[in-house]
Amino acid sequence: MATYSSRIDAAPSARWRWGGGLITRERVAPVVAGAVLLVIWEAWVRTQLPDFVARPSGIVMAIPFTITTREFWSDVGATLGAILQGVTIGSVAGILIGVAMGRMRELNWFLSTYIRALYALPLVALVPIVILWVGYQPAARLIIVVISVFLPVAVTTADGTRAISKDYLDVGKMFGARTHNVWFGIALPSATPYIVAGIELGFARGITNAIAVEVLASVNGMGMSVFTKSNELNENASLVYVLCLAIFAVGVRSLMIRFRHWLAPWYHR
Amino acid sequence: MTTAGGAESFETRLARFRIVNAWWIRPACYALSIVLLLCAWQALGNSFGVLFVPFTTTMSRLWDMLQSGPLLPGLVVSGKLYGVTLAINIVLGVTVGLLLARIKLIAAAFEPYIYTLYATPTISLVPFVSVMFGFEFGSRVLVSVLISIFPILIGVTEGARSIPRQHLDVAAIFGSTEGQLWRDVIVPYVTPYAMSGIKQSIALSMVGTLVAEFFLNPDGVAAVLLQGTTIVDSGWVLAVTIFIAAIAVVLVGVGELIERYLVRWRHTAVG
Repeated sequence: MATYSSRIDAAPSARWRWGGGLITRERVAPVVAGAVLLVIWEAWVRTQLPDFVARPSGIVMAIPFTITTREFWSDVGATLGAILQGVTIGSVAGILIGVAMGRMRELNWFLSTYIRALYALPLVALVPIVILWVGYQPAARLIIVVISVFLPVAVTTADGTRAISKDYLDVGKMFGARTHNVWFGIALPSATPYIVAGIELGFARGITNAIAVEVLASVNGMGMSVFTKSNELNENASLVYVLCLAIFAVGVRSLMIRFRHWLAPWYHR
Repeated sequence: MTTAGGAESFETRLARFRIVNAWWIRPACYALSIVLLLCAWQALGNSFGVLFVPFTTTMSRLWDMLQSGPLLPGLVVSGKLYGVTLAINIVLGVTVGLLLARIKLIAAAFEPYIYTLYATPTISLVPFVSVMFGFEFGSRVLVSVLISIFPILIGVTEGARSIPRQHLDVAAIFGSTEGQLWRDVIVPYVTPYAMSGIKQSIALSMVGTLVAEFFLNPDGVAAVLLQGTTIVDSGWVLAVTIFIAAIAVVLVGVGELIERYLVRWRHTAVG
């Protein structure tokens, strides 16, 4: 019995502890694993691959030089600025359309064909047609980010506002709630966790698709620099950009989780 | 009067509208939206010229490209990559997912890196992958798998971890062997989680396939798409985009059907 129970279990082990329980086996393991991965990477590149291939020591050495260039900060500003702008526009539009879709069946039926079709489509496939329409411009990146965020936010907001409890609606009715009270006073707050989940998903897709547009449309930004640095055989600098993108993506993710706990503390998932 | 009256007038108007809401309202909405879009497309296309060809032109272009164009050969190339990606995702995702759920130390060691890799935009790793492994089929598969494996892997891990202890205890009390435990408890319990991940992976593998083909020396359907951009032929690009959208809708639909069939006995567990 005990053997089965202990086999699949996420609780930390009690057996192997130092420092009054602060240093457990589970806390040491990721550090060791990370170190081993880095050493294997370093050794493999040094012994097997040409000199220009990125390796951990090279990346660390490249960090100071890369992040002190003016180009780096203009890239960061361009890409992150476009992503934040696109996420804002896409979220607001997605929430408005989503609430309307959730509260009016007819509008939902009217729009759902397109929203679901676009939601299924890999948005990378939309990049060529957008480039064709707006040209090899930063606007193409903004449009794609807006679409990437709008779709998941609209879908999750519609799902969340449709699923509100009838009790809330009855109470609202008793107190003479008008339509806009029902939409933005009852439906929207109760759909908050869904909306944040939609924005989280949209954010992740927006980052990816922004990079895709930069590379395909030759728009200056972090994604473009990842590719150009690599083409100039400056692999270490290229990986510094990747590292920054990864930090940004991970940061956004954990920020959104905090945001959800703060906005909707009653909702546990 | 004013507040209540305002609320009632809209609600009642909507309700009165819904009194006539026979079964045909819903199909009518769908039909109306499609007809309106096609009309708008046709009208805009006729006035815009080269950059936005009308619907009928797009469809005839699509028909031509399917008859004697680069589309079907490209589809075969992309389909192969897609199939290999999805197969690897399912096999590797389920195996590694179960392993992470069962062996705590491995999970503790690698989970932070798995989540970081999941959050990192995989496109940005493409140059690195190409320098390390070249531009061939293997690199494409790697990029494509990196984009689409995580929903399965994480879903299976979380599913296997959430098996209630009582289930395992009951199996132990009745003296299940290892095989029986897997057949009767673990596999049925994890299936909905795995299916939810596979459903997402069916859609994401398409993203992975396209990204790998776009960014590692264009090939397959993505190359056909880019060709249209290069020669500034909007009919070409629109036709291929519509074609990809149709495939995506079908694949997502198939994923939902499979999920509904396999987990038909379990409606509420997985969100």
